[in-house]
Amino acid sequence: MAPVLMLWLVMSLSGTWAVDKGNFKTCDQSAFCKRQRALKPGESPYRALLETMELTSTRLTLQLINDNNKVHLLLELYRLQGNITRVKINELKPLKPRYEVPDVLIREPSTEPLSLLSQDENGVVLSLGSESQRVIVSARPFRLDIMEGRDVLMSLNSRGLLAFEQLRMRKDTPLFSIHILTQWMISIFKAKEEEEKVEDGMWEETFKSHSDSKPNGPSAISLDFSLPGVEHVYGIPEHADTLRLKTTDNGDPYRLYNLDVFQYELYNPMALYGAVPVMLAHNAQRTTGIFWLNAAETWVDISSNTTVFGKMLDYVQGSSETPQTDVRWISESGIIDVFIMLGPTPKDVFSQYASLTGTQSFPPEAAVGYHQCRWNYNDQEDVTSVDAGFDEHNIPYDYIWLDIEHTDGKRYFTWDPHKFATPKEMLQGLMDKKRKMVAIVDPHIKVDSNYKIHNEIRNRAFYIKNKDGGDYEGWCWPGSAGYPDFTRADMRDWWASMFAYDQYEGSMENLYTWNDMNEPSVFNGPEVTMHKDAVHGAWEHRDVHNLYGFYVQMATAQGLIRRSGGVERPFVLTRAFFAGSQRYGAVWTGDNAAEWDHLKISIPMCLSLGLVGISFCGADVGGFFKSPSTELLVRWYQTGAYQPFFRAHAHLDTPRREPWLFGPENTALIREAVRQRYTLLPYWYQQFYHSHRTGQPIMRPLWVEYPQDPATFALDDEFLIGRDLLVHPVTEEGARGVTAYLPGKDEVWFDVHTFQKHNGAQNLYIPVTISSIPVFQRGGSIIPRKSRVRRSSTCMMQDPYTLYVALNPQRTAEGELYIDDGHTFNYEKKEFIHRKLFFANNMLSSENLAPDAQFSTRSWFERIVILGASKPSKVTLKTADGQESQLEFDFDASMSVLTLRKPSMNAGLDWNVMLQ
Amino acid sequence: FIMVSPDMRFHVIIAAVFWFGFVDSRKIKGISSSYKRFYRQRKSFLCIHGSKIIPFEQVNDDYCDCDDGSDEPGTSACPRGRFYCTNLGFRPHYIPSSRVNDGICDCCDASDEYNSHAHCQNTCWNLGQRERAYVAGQMRTLDEGLQLKQQLIEEGLLLWRENRELQQVAEDLQIKLEEHRRKKHKADRLKEQTLKGLQAGDSSLFKRQNSTVISTFQLLDSNNDGSITVDEVQAKVALVHDEERVLSEDEAVALLGGGDQMDLTKFQHTLWDILTKGDSVKVNYGPDWEFLFLNSQCYKLNVYGYTYTLCPFNQVTQKSTAGTEVSLGRWGMWAATPKHQYSQMVYENGEPCWQGGSRSTTVTLTCGTETALLSVKEPSKCQYIMDFQTPVACQPVLKQRGIHSEL
Repeated sequence: MAPVLMLWLVMSLSGTWAVDKGNFKTCDQSAFCKRQRALKPGESPYRALLETMELTSTRLTLQLINDNNKVHLLLELYRLQGNITRVKINELKPLKPRYEVPDVLIREPSTEPLSLLSQDENGVVLSLGSESQRVIVSARPFRLDIMEGRDVLMSLNSRGLLAFEQLRMRKDTPLFSIHILTQWMISIFKAKEEEEKVEDGMWEETFKSHSDSKPNGPSAISLDFSLPGVEHVYGIPEHADTLRLKTTDNGDPYRLYNLDVFQYELYNPMALYGAVPVMLAHNAQRTTGIFWLNAAETWVDISSNTTVFGKMLDYVQGSSETPQTDVRWISESGIIDVFIMLGPTPKDVFSQYASLTGTQSFPPEAAVGYHQCRWNYNDQEDVTSVDAGFDEHNIPYDYIWLDIEHTDGKRYFTWDPHKFATPKEMLQGLMDKKRKMVAIVDPHIKVDSNYKIHNEIRNRAFYIKNKDGGDYEGWCWPGSAGYPDFTRADMRDWWASMFAYDQYEGSMENLYTWNDMNEPSVFNGPEVTMHKDAVHGAWEHRDVHNLYGFYVQMATAQGLIRRSGGVERPFVLTRAFFAGSQRYGAVWTGDNAAEWDHLKISIPMCLSLGLVGISFCGADVGGFFKSPSTELLVRWYQTGAYQPFFRAHAHLDTPRREPWLFGPENTALIREAVRQRYTLLPYWYQQFYHSHRTGQPIMRPLWVEYPQDPATFALDDEFLIGRDLLVHPVTEEGARGVTAYLPGKDEVWFDVHTFQKHNGAQNLYIPVTISSIPVFQRGGSIIPRKSRVRRSSTCMMQDPYTLYVALNPQRTAEGELYIDDGHTFNYEKKEFIHRKLFFANNMLSSENLAPDAQFSTRSWFERIVILGASKPSKVTLKTADGQESQLEFDFDASMSVLTLRKPSMNAGLDWNVMLQ
Repeated sequence: FIMVSPDMRFHVIIAAVFWFGFVDSRKIKGISSSYKRFYRQRKSFLCIHGSKIIPFEQVNDDYCDCDDGSDEPGTSACPRGRFYCTNLGFRPHYIPSSRVNDGICDCCDASDEYNSHAHCQNTCWNLGQRERAYVAGQMRTLDEGLQLKQQLIEEGLLLWRENRELQQVAEDLQIKLEEHRRKKHKADRLKEQTLKGLQAGDSSLFKRQNSTVISTFQLLDSNNDGSITVDEVQAKVALVHDEERVLSEDEAVALLGGGDQMDLTKFQHTLWDILTKGDSVKVNYGPDWEFLFLNSQCYKLNVYGYTYTLCPFNQVTQKSTAGTEVSLGRWGMWAATPKHQYSQMVYENGEPCWQGGSRSTTVTLTCGTETALLSVKEPSKCQYIMDFQTPVACQPVLKQRGIHSEL
């Protein structure tokens, strides 16, 4: 009786505090993670066989041998353009090919020659180009050290955690064919040398009621990276955690495995909807990055010699040991393919990563506006009345969204015949107001022989297969559903063709798409996702899992481009993502909750995504689950207005929360937050253009711009938009004030609302009221705004600009202005205006940054506001045609603000304004 | 006395014409005639709230000088500005300045898009006609509605009187239906079970209630002949205070509404209420008891595969095509603005919801010639709103308000 009772107690205890977590694996419950994590740092069994070394102009190869089991690996080392080193390790002769991630790199990276500096029996030294950078390959045990001068930048396998589970035949495998027989004989031959233990979970694994058949057996890989001098590492989203990654010694590693997590918990390393296996390491001297190109389930361990039992120790200068962070990556299958981005600045790392996986897609300008979403707007009448509500309350918005209920029985690409009987009429109504719509299209397809999409996919054999060869079926919103194999190019091509106006009935050019549930979510699958032994052609789902959502968004974006004949920019929102997803649209942080901590975490979550290329990020304003207090809702609008993707969303079971439902005062507060967003649209749009061109994040942690200021390294309650706006949103309930750190020893910052000037390199206490959104403009910057906030961004296209020139202590400033048509790819054909604005020697001027580009605008400058100015006696405008005219101005001596009245020159032309 | 030569007089006239012409050409865009006085001075302009004086040329020059937006009534320059659509032939109104020249036609006279790509037509005349036709229709409806309302009040009163008399009798007698009480207790327990059953989706609230009326009736109708007689009432109904005291024949006759028998239908609408609810007459049926006639009625509407039933002062239900019936609330109260005390009904405590709380329905009453349920919506989960039209919601005050005068 006693044991039974004990068991019952244990079960009920775990039931009370781990309800959500229990659905998802810990490292211990994931056989390969447990196996690999059991391996402790020590001497590596791997040895480099220097005699096998081959050095060509583009790469070095050599074999590694595991002295324990005599399995040979092949190491490939490349020096890539832009200060990147690529290290690939695969089995020399795998039993069958191991998965190498396709389609994520934008092209085969260009290599640069490696040259041999020295060689002896202990290893080789190769030059990585000019800056005394070199890589040392040590033979026994095998390790790689990347050096600059006398400093080690990064070491690989220095802790001996390189592991490569070679593919093998199952000992009890029955013989089916000659082919297998031969392989079996080889394996017997090998087995003589090996003393492999067969552990639990190598050939089959169960979790809860699910079984993973693992026909290929164990195939995990692992490698450690040591980062001397580094105390701060960032990235590897998606986790609901702080910006600065924590050490994982006392808990689970950070997990990368795209999962639909119901009501996710904050501040822990559990996997969420997306995975970008990129980590940045930073100290005051240098920033580097590690891109682990592997799409299988991955765990990342972080430890540090300055952190003991999770607590930071003050690093005392002169201590014998330099601070060091050690990182270890473990993946379930595939190969080791790692890109080491050597910086040295944060911007260099962003460019290096962008050169591999591409930059943020350039969205239509409207998508940078405000989005109104809810699960669900019930019918066309509902859409019309919400649309009218925005006009009645004079709040701008650009997109209204339809969740799954708009479909005919969760059959995507269709409309509910009663509730949305005339979608084109509805879309035309929105178009008449220059507004747009997004409708959801999820990748799970209802198994229904009367559903065209299902029939086509089945007939073309495009569905993912289960381990027994039939179409994989899982449970999702429509009930039983199939999952198209988006890893197939022909499938993606077909999917894209479904967005053509004549295929997607009821669609119009102002209808865009939202891909949800693309982890993929399978309600009755292990961890609410697909069985790992499901089959994608030659590969298992295990190999490609984290890529699925990436491919779904890729195919959808392709569809939206194609329906317009390649003219219009697409807008696609995705929940699941991988490295490279930035190329296809926006992401959001999934199903958050209406809680203050969820508002706070939206900042580090989007900052982490921005660091790894995905700039177009946002969180559901208001929180998805539960109902926010009015104060939380207002604060969330104020925060969301300053994050790249600005969308309110709410769960079906929550009460309505359109901005005007909380009394006139709160309506006014929300209106003001949204209006601030719209006045700044020119600056936002310019940031997107910049990010698209360069790969720099839009929403940035402070350390990216102030890499030498350690006070910025862990800040994640404030952030920068581009370089020039610092935002410290109020995210505390009942806050009376916030303390913002203003960086930059010789800098000044201007409060954008009061124009008050503050010195940099200080913690500034800012008293706040419910209407406050603390935002500061950097002295030395010029920000264009449009002060005429209209119904939608499209209505503001031709409107005049106001320039905010914030002078630095040297009385200079510079900024940019970017203008194009806002929605087509014509900018690629040089149809845009890109100008540099700068202020020096009392003169503000506009210079063409793209003389070969052609575009004309009706927009003009209606006002120039110079912050930190002194009073001039006269102000002269000189336009391109040589005409001079005096400008009227107004000077506010108390705040040193000079306002130039109506200079009126066209935004696309050369001009200068002289203050005398 | 000054002699004015014919020639001079001519000049004066010319000057006057010229002056008026000048004023006309300097017509200030975007203001109503009542605001013209602020824009009369031609040299300088004082912002209406008095914050600043600017040269008059800066009025409507597409740059915002006044914090109150008053210098740019005709452009989009001021964030807080407004533009007056004259809308001759329709209703004049203000739009926010941000809608001036935004490419979308807002004023029916097209005056807001004087410098944009939008091709706006003057639609004021058509809109005005439509509006006038609509208002005329409304007035006819109101007239008819008010007449019908009178009839319905009378019908209701008739019912009320019967009820009231019975109620009076019942109160005087302080009767109780011994066996019924016991039954009711049982029924309550049954209800609990039924509710559980309902969640499993296999029973029906409506049926249950009907059967209780019937079973009570059958209980009283000892000989099962389909009508209750004096003897039968005397047999089952007792006086509250005198434990064993049987009703007298007169008392029983009074309970049967003055007759010596009562059939099921009449029972259901009179005695049943009194025996079970007791307080049904205490519901506020409006100042003229005009809503009383709704008491025993139910109204249905099919929306997206569901049948919604509103039984005023009783309950609201939703029935799916699959047949399960769910309560969307039981009569709660009138909830209305001080102006219209009887414009909204609230039904509360319906079927519990998945994430807590229970279903509720707010019914908005509007004036119409027929009594009917017009629409049902569920803007948020478990919160329903209904539009319900009935002549008794017609208010004579509406008629007095001059709708015509605005046109």
